[in-house]
Amino acid sequence: MTAAPLRVLHAEWTKFRTVRGWVVGVVAAALMVVLVAVLAGVSSDQRGAPAVPIGRGGELVTDSFFFVHQPMTGDGGITVSVSALDVGIAPDLEPGTVPWAKAGLVIKDGTRPGSAYAAIMVTSGHGVRMQHDYTEDTAGLPGPVSTASPRWLRLERSGDAITGYDSTDGLRWTAVGTVHLDGLGPTAQAGLFVASPDAVQGPGTVPSVATAVFADLRTEGGRLTDHWTGDRVGPEPTGHPPTTSGSVAESDGRLTVTGTGDIAPAVRASLGTAGTIADVLTGTFPALITVIVLGTLFITTEYRDLIHVTLAASAGRSRVLAAKAIVLGGVTFTAGLAGTAIAIPLGEHLARQSGVHLFPITPSTQLRVVLGTAALLATAAVLALAVGTLFRRSAGAVTTVTIAVVLPYLLVAQIPFIPDVVTDWLTRVTPAAAFAVQQSVVPYHQVTSVYTPYNGYYPLAPWAGFAVLAGYAVVSLAAAAVVLRRRDA
Amino acid sequence: MRPLRTAGIVVAGLRKRYGQTRALDGMSFTVRPALVTGFVGPNGAGKSTTMRVILGLAAVDEGTALVEGRPYRSLRHPLRHVGSLLDAAAPHPGRSARNHLLWLAHSQGLAAPRVDQVIEQVGLTPAAGRKVGGYSLGMRQRLGIAAALLGDPPIVMLDEPFNGMDPEGILWMRGFLRSLAAEGRAVLVSSHLMGELQGTADHLVVVGRGKAIADTGVAELIATASRNRVALRTTAVPDAARLLARAGATVASTGPDTITVAGLSPDRVVTLLNERAVPFSEVSAHRATLEDAYLELTRGAVEFRASTSAEVSR
Amino acid sequence: MRAAVHAEWTKVRTVAGPRWLLLGAIAATVALSTAVVSVMTCDAAGCGHDATRLSLTGVQFGQALVVILAVQVMSGEHGTGMIRATLAATPRRTTALAAKAVTLTGVVAAVGTVAVLGSLLAGRLILPGRGFTAAHGYPILSPADGPTLRATVGSILYLVLIALLSLGVATVVRDSATSTGVVLGLLYLVPVLAPVIHDPHWQRLLHRLGPMSAGLAVQATTDLRDLPIGPWTGLGVLAGWAGAALLAGALLLRRRDA
Repeated sequence: MTAAPLRVLHAEWTKFRTVRGWVVGVVAAALMVVLVAVLAGVSSDQRGAPAVPIGRGGELVTDSFFFVHQPMTGDGGITVSVSALDVGIAPDLEPGTVPWAKAGLVIKDGTRPGSAYAAIMVTSGHGVRMQHDYTEDTAGLPGPVSTASPRWLRLERSGDAITGYDSTDGLRWTAVGTVHLDGLGPTAQAGLFVASPDAVQGPGTVPSVATAVFADLRTEGGRLTDHWTGDRVGPEPTGHPPTTSGSVAESDGRLTVTGTGDIAPAVRASLGTAGTIADVLTGTFPALITVIVLGTLFITTEYRDLIHVTLAASAGRSRVLAAKAIVLGGVTFTAGLAGTAIAIPLGEHLARQSGVHLFPITPSTQLRVVLGTAALLATAAVLALAVGTLFRRSAGAVTTVTIAVVLPYLLVAQIPFIPDVVTDWLTRVTPAAAFAVQQSVVPYHQVTSVYTPYNGYYPLAPWAGFAVLAGYAVVSLAAAAVVLRRRDA
Repeated sequence: MRPLRTAGIVVAGLRKRYGQTRALDGMSFTVRPALVTGFVGPNGAGKSTTMRVILGLAAVDEGTALVEGRPYRSLRHPLRHVGSLLDAAAPHPGRSARNHLLWLAHSQGLAAPRVDQVIEQVGLTPAAGRKVGGYSLGMRQRLGIAAALLGDPPIVMLDEPFNGMDPEGILWMRGFLRSLAAEGRAVLVSSHLMGELQGTADHLVVVGRGKAIADTGVAELIATASRNRVALRTTAVPDAARLLARAGATVASTGPDTITVAGLSPDRVVTLLNERAVPFSEVSAHRATLEDAYLELTRGAVEFRASTSAEVSR
Repeated sequence: MRAAVHAEWTKVRTVAGPRWLLLGAIAATVALSTAVVSVMTCDAAGCGHDATRLSLTGVQFGQALVVILAVQVMSGEHGTGMIRATLAATPRRTTALAAKAVTLTGVVAAVGTVAVLGSLLAGRLILPGRGFTAAHGYPILSPADGPTLRATVGSILYLVLIALLSLGVATVVRDSATSTGVVLGLLYLVPVLAPVIHDPHWQRLLHRLGPMSAGLAVQATTDLRDLPIGPWTGLGVLAGWAGAALLAGALLLRRRDA
């Protein structure tokens, strides 16, 4: 004979699977996730759009800057001093602050955007940095540069190892770091670069242009041509005044170089055309509404007449509620898992075919997104079950849960001008925090950007965000259990 | 000039299918004024469906149902023509009985005083302001009856009005139905238990498998069912049953020491028992109850019937 | 018809549910509007906000309670079986549905007027303190101003049409949880799905066809050229949805057994 709790569970499972509408609903929820992924894939056509450079780790990157360079074969070094780095902000190039405007030395595997590089640079707001391969960043001397307080920079290649040094006087040098650029060919492009990323203004960004003054340019070792060429790497900027695409001018041994762009990992605001896994999974929304309806019906239909039967047929009412939650959670989790597991590869494939770039994700992130989305659906369904028990009214319960989960998301994800405080609060405190489980884009400290939920960046860590929703579900379920025990059926 | 109206309800040749199931299969009968017409049959025989068809709630594939000679849907203030109590038309639990009747009254262009009258009439006055959600089943039935009386209709149709009523309520209901008929109204009362209608109904429409299998007066029905039956009291039920069955009778046990014999005259029964020396204490002509008559009629028409272990004949 | 409307009105006023939902709709609308105008700032001329529209943001919240009310008016009766009493009392089914629609229209229009004017008042009182001043190009909000009047009247009509859409859907679907899900899906999915559609033509089309995105265009008072759809045309699209839902509901109500 089966133990009592298992019998209750079995009874609830039988109840669920024998209502055809509910089974259809669960399957429909999974299908919606897949269908929207397909819709997103086929409705987009970016086959003519410029290619997005891809870094060595497969990540989408920004690689556009002004490059004063010459080929350098074999081991060698390059030294320069920087005495000024000024930034102008579009449209009138008024002086402004762009903390990650950068100017310095770079050794790069050719001028193709996305190729490997190592660089040492001064920045507007973060002192001297050594960076390589887009995502890596090491701090050197702090403080800004000026004529009174210039910085000397040196970059040395030895095999595939590149070491960056900084100095305040050109005499005493400190090694900032040594990095290895695997597979760097014998001849690399070496020289000066200037880049200035878009400045964040309110909910959006505006282009900026940096001007740096270099002096004391020397090369050592290696075979160089001693003929410097000024080139722009990456696409010409759009919307800038034409003169700001980049330039180099020499006078009195000083090189004045202007440039715009960035050498950094791409983020959502800098690459609006690229999609994320969360975009592919937008079908989560119709699926959510469907499972919320199911969760509500699973209890409110009982109130029509059956609850007397159900409650009379089993000893503990809380046990019935728990059994319902387990069955509902299990079924919706499974549906979510199936839907997401199919939708992601399918959506990715279709998006790529349409020429849409997706921010790549690691297998572990992908696993988290799949499990997280399934858990999000299951928990929302259980929340609806609990609210349905408390309200006993279907329409009210469905609306409450839908509004609690969807409306905050709509406000933060659809309206870019909502102030950050509000967005932050909405995505920390409301059940919509759980959408963090779908976040696949990563914020980088070396890229100043709009890291808001609107752009796919949530204030809470993925599972912490999920925990907020889970908290609502657990509290509601507990309240429902108490109410159910006290109330006359 | 007003068209001549047929009083009461005339149901003619109703047919209706739900997928493969034939819910109504040529249902025809008439409900006449000043009589209580019992509408009986096993559950699922089509009683509620027929009533819903009469009220225009369900459509039919064939046939007509007319109240006072007109289709229900053409009535401007239908509750002034037909008052009805439907099993499944529950009022909103959060509304008071009085307010439930009030919206119904307003839908018929009737005013509030009429509501208080019918509440008084069914004896709900003390509870009229309370939410219907807290009502007992019996109170709900009274509320339903108040709703049926609201338009002072010449026709009253009640679906299983005895459901959930205590013995006192049942008694009240019977008297009440009689009084409606005495006022000249045509009354149609459905029930799946014939016993409830005994002593109340003047006329019976017995239904089975979607059609009327009898449309007759109560007295005639009982007479038909009593014909050719012998009640026998004996201490040797098995012996008597075996013997009489072998002689061609249909035997049914009706108690620990009583059986009913059909197909043999009382004299023949006595002769047979004496020949074989089977003891018996009483042989009499059987007087059928309405229930018996009903069971006899519906025997072939019952779709889902539990196997009757009481049957003794072999 | 008059008697049927009278009956529906009696139904609405004699249970507590609708009363609370209607008060809730007012509270939700005014509360969200107040919250939104309290956090917005405008520190320069032409900061790009539509002050009227901001003040009316709460309609997006208030409509949820209107949806519940409208769905309950029909689905609630299906849930208890009372629909049979209603249809027995008013056997002409189109009349029965029309009576519900008329009653809802009246009730929601009255409540919507309070909610929308309350929101506008909140904007009028709060926005000047947040930098929305005449100096920045924002005169004090007034319903006497042409575009603001359109937005005000339009928002009230929007709520009425949402109620009618919900009533129509509930008449088709009958079950209240499913009806609510369908209505909320219709309203909220277009804004959620649109950004996924990368093709700008389809995206614009979706915004034009979505009952909420098109209907709320009536709240716009500035940059009308940039809207996917004109204010009245947008409301017309929503009216089309509501009309189609009611028509489908009426046809099914006539055909189906109760």
